[in-house]
Amino acid sequence: MISLLLRCQKLKLTLQKHAANKPLISALLQIQDAQCQRAGEVLFAPINLAMDQSELTVIAGPNGSGKTTLLEAMAGLSRFSSGYRRYEQSEELNNWLQHSHYLGHKLGNKGNLSCAENLEFVAHINEISVNQQQTEDVLDKAGLAGYQHQFASDLSAGQKKRLALSRLLLLNKTFWLLDEPFVNLDHAGCDWLYQIIESHISQGGAVILTAHDQKKIHDLANHHITLEAIPEEVFT
Amino acid sequence: MRFWALIKRDVLVSWRKKSNIYQPLVFQLLIVTMFPLGLGAGAQTLAKIAPAVVWILALLSTLITLENIFKDDYEDGSLDLYVLSGMNLYLASLSKAIAHWFTTGIPVILFAPVIGVLMHLPDHSYGILMLSLLLATPIFSLLGTVGSALIMNIKNGGMLLSVLIMPLLAPILIFGAGAVLETSLGNSAYSHLMLLLGCTVLSLTLAPLAAAAAIKINLE
Repeated sequence: MISLLLRCQKLKLTLQKHAANKPLISALLQIQDAQCQRAGEVLFAPINLAMDQSELTVIAGPNGSGKTTLLEAMAGLSRFSSGYRRYEQSEELNNWLQHSHYLGHKLGNKGNLSCAENLEFVAHINEISVNQQQTEDVLDKAGLAGYQHQFASDLSAGQKKRLALSRLLLLNKTFWLLDEPFVNLDHAGCDWLYQIIESHISQGGAVILTAHDQKKIHDLANHHITLEAIPEEVFT
Repeated sequence: MRFWALIKRDVLVSWRKKSNIYQPLVFQLLIVTMFPLGLGAGAQTLAKIAPAVVWILALLSTLITLENIFKDDYEDGSLDLYVLSGMNLYLASLSKAIAHWFTTGIPVILFAPVIGVLMHLPDHSYGILMLSLLLATPIFSLLGTVGSALIMNIKNGGMLLSVLIMPLLAPILIFGAGAVLETSLGNSAYSHLMLLLGCTVLSLTLAPLAAAAAIKINLE
């Protein structure tokens, strides 16, 4: 009996030790035992994540470790090969989509639409109505003041990224999922992005992003996920 | 709102990228000028094959535009935007088809009489020609969304797309060209047009369903 109690204690202790990795049942977003496959091969060991509002998760890992695949699956663009995502205790996808915005490597700007038209389309497709003033404000904040009538194809790579990131300010979603958001941005751009992430978190939002050498963002993070490729022999 | 936003954007994008609109028309014009040269025959021979030629040209010229319905969106990432907005994919596919019809179907319908004149199509067949194309071009666009959604992540999938949907378009060609042929011979095209209308309704209801499923498959 005593030994059983002791074992329970021990189990509790180990549970507490891993509390950061184990999902809390009450967490807003819960990702449990998630794995992804690419070309039929499992990419990484199962991922557990429990996130509430005002939290930041940084996903790191070498090239090819599956960061983008994981983020896409988290966003709902593809499926986990095993495990699940639960938002507000529900696995229903639409509820999650209403509260999240994913920004991947493919930025989603239409080249022959102007910046303002790109933003308007994104707003309308998310059933938000915007006026000209709002889109101009958002572009101002993104450092694209005066570019509202410029075609997106005429922008530089960094400006395209800024245009895509400015959607986040327009859409007002709780969860942001950003795949390498700092890539292509200049120093001022990185600082700006850091600031909007910080203020989004302080206002009750939550962010999941992948990043390599952004020390500031790593310091800010509440959760770290480091992806490591599974050794081949495990599966052979 | 989402539905119209997507149509509006697609029409605007095609309008700015003019080649989307005039490419099929130039294609038709180039080929139709080859017929008198190749056949070396007078107006009567041309008139005999005119219904088939006008129709085949309308079909083929639309076919070359189908690949990009979803492919462009897939490649620049804007597909992710509307998929992740939680938009119903049935409606998304339908609005893509409608936008494609606006920018390709309508010009093809309006241009058909020009091709008809060049082929000496009998005067009394023009009404039926345009009516049959009015019923058929939506089918091209709708089946095109299915094909395009299936091949969007394949490089150079245009050929595969043609092979995939050509068998589905064959009956449309038979009914459509048949309607014009019957009219040019002085017979009633009623049954052909009714069958065509049936196909239009069928693809209007089912094609977006298939396209939505194809998008889902490709994203997984």
